[in-house]
Amino acid sequence: MIPPLIKDAVMYANLLVLLSTGFTLTYLTAKIPNFAHATFAGIGIYVTFTVLRIWKLNPYIAAPLAFMMGAGLGAFLYVVVIGTLKKYGATLVSLTISTLAIEIIVLAIINIYADYVRNTMGLISRMFMFRYADFEFMDLPGVLIVSTALAGLLILGFHLILTKTKFGISMRATIEDTALASVLGVNVELVSTISWFLTGGLAGLAGSLLPLWLQGSPLTGERILISVMASSILGGISSIYGAILGGYLIGLTEVLATVALMDTLGAWVSAYRLLIPLTVMAMVLLKAPRGFVGIIEGIQARGLSLRSIVRLKR
Amino acid sequence: MIDIGLLTNVIIDILTFVAIYLILAVGLNLQYGYTGVPNFGLALSAAGGAYMTGALTGRIAMTIYGVGEGLDFMSDNIKITELINAHLSHDPLMGILIFVLIIAIAMVINAGLGYIASHPAIKLRADYLMMTLMAMAEAVRLIGTNYYPLVGGTFWVLVPDLFAWMGDMKRVGVCLIIFAISIIVFLAVQAMVTSPYGRLLRAVRDNEVTAECVGKDVVKTRTRVIIIGSVIASLAGVLYSFHLQTVLAAAFTRTDWTFWPWLMVMVGGPSNNIGAAAGTLVVILARRMIIYYKHYFEAYIPFEVIWLEQIMLGLALILIMILRPQGLIPEKPTRVRGLPTKLLQKLREESKET
Repeated sequence: MIPPLIKDAVMYANLLVLLSTGFTLTYLTAKIPNFAHATFAGIGIYVTFTVLRIWKLNPYIAAPLAFMMGAGLGAFLYVVVIGTLKKYGATLVSLTISTLAIEIIVLAIINIYADYVRNTMGLISRMFMFRYADFEFMDLPGVLIVSTALAGLLILGFHLILTKTKFGISMRATIEDTALASVLGVNVELVSTISWFLTGGLAGLAGSLLPLWLQGSPLTGERILISVMASSILGGISSIYGAILGGYLIGLTEVLATVALMDTLGAWVSAYRLLIPLTVMAMVLLKAPRGFVGIIEGIQARGLSLRSIVRLKR
Repeated sequence: MIDIGLLTNVIIDILTFVAIYLILAVGLNLQYGYTGVPNFGLALSAAGGAYMTGALTGRIAMTIYGVGEGLDFMSDNIKITELINAHLSHDPLMGILIFVLIIAIAMVINAGLGYIASHPAIKLRADYLMMTLMAMAEAVRLIGTNYYPLVGGTFWVLVPDLFAWMGDMKRVGVCLIIFAISIIVFLAVQAMVTSPYGRLLRAVRDNEVTAECVGKDVVKTRTRVIIIGSVIASLAGVLYSFHLQTVLAAAFTRTDWTFWPWLMVMVGGPSNNIGAAAGTLVVILARRMIIYYKHYFEAYIPFEVIWLEQIMLGLALILIMILRPQGLIPEKPTRVRGLPTKLLQKLREESKET
């Protein structure tokens, strides 16, 4: 049977993929790192909490709800906050600091909700885990199956959207060169809004699955943010495929390396788990700042030059 | 009747917080406002300074006075601090010496920390630097909250009262010392940005390529500014710890120590130290008012008031950036010693017209 450690790692990596693709997509369309991104997962966590503990329904009903809430908030923030700031000529740094402000506001709202639930209904509204509410299929926890399926669907979906649909092509055009795309008749604002809608939704979705396997708290999203940024940077921050690969690599490394280090150094290592994605991030920035994209392009360039040398010799 | 004692306490409280955050805001202004380096890891340096204070003050004083034989610094922290305080209450010289020593150590260590934290991304685009510094700040807090011998992990550590010899005047005295240091930092940064070096910083901010072309090393300038900024921010952490006489590792969050200084600089107007000071005053007054009056609301709302405070100040930042992106006091043309400001103003307006 599959050891629990592997289940843990795959589950975490799936969630990271859902989050890091979103982070990368917002980065590509708005050109800023969205520090509020992982906090959207916090909304998902509390949607699951509401569905399971207050409405007493199946936790998977929360997934579409969380998607819609995250998506709605993402689109709202892009149109109202980022859009307005851009109109008034905000710089990239001030846009980024505004995402930090959004993070603080969203976090405060989640905390207010958690306080409210605790004080009026007497439920434990922080540090909860709902593994007991999950179903099992062939000795596998349901959330593992669902999250793997979702990550697979996401990869397939993004691939199809980006290569086969008109919307995907206009999205790529917007990412490549916003000004040129708008000259060619692409509705850049619409494309960006839809991107933020999707990414907010994905983050909400990831959040809604999280408490079925890991501990949920208002701050969970904030803690995951560093792993998400590391995945995205490892993937080259400018590539959705890179983010998927980065998410899996960081997720698996984070869980597996922590356990391996715990075996050799002792149990105290587990508290410093966050330092693993951080170290990877620092190494990537030092050695290959463009992540996988840079590495692959480097190989391609070298391959091309080799081929041309061969051709010249002939 | 106004209670005089209470009023003094309120004034001391506000002055101390203004002084501590003024240091952070001016340090950030030097980095972001004047040099265009967006330091999202201010919490890193503040935490660095505070952790050094918490970890070293007690241990150094313990060694000097030879107290606490056979006691463990962490688990017998309260007892050891009491013993040290008894010695310090009639030893002004040693108190001041330790104070200066701790500041010096914190500055040196944080210069190194600032260099290490910014090193991976200093050559890259600003957004990489923002992400890296923010992640590094979280990492330092993580180490602080988990490594028990440093500042007690999830518990806290007491800082010996280095100014116990001041007796009844201690609260006022410490407040004045913190304020004086804050003013010195303000004047030092002001002197720096009006010097030729300040013009180099603005050149790096406004046009990297031009700065490179005239032979200035942009990466080196940025690194230096981050190191100076980290040193300044660490001072805020040190003074905050001496003010509270405790260090709680978990307190150095990115909301309190990175976001608030950014809000102050944005409110006051980046690249203007007077503006940063005005912003600090406004934000601190707003925050303190909420804290003083929060018990009026507490009875009516079923959640903690602190969350309302965060929503309000978060919204304030977004509104300020929409309504008045240049801040309360906009950037003035660089003062150049020997050139009248009026002439500069005229030149600037002419260059804007063309």
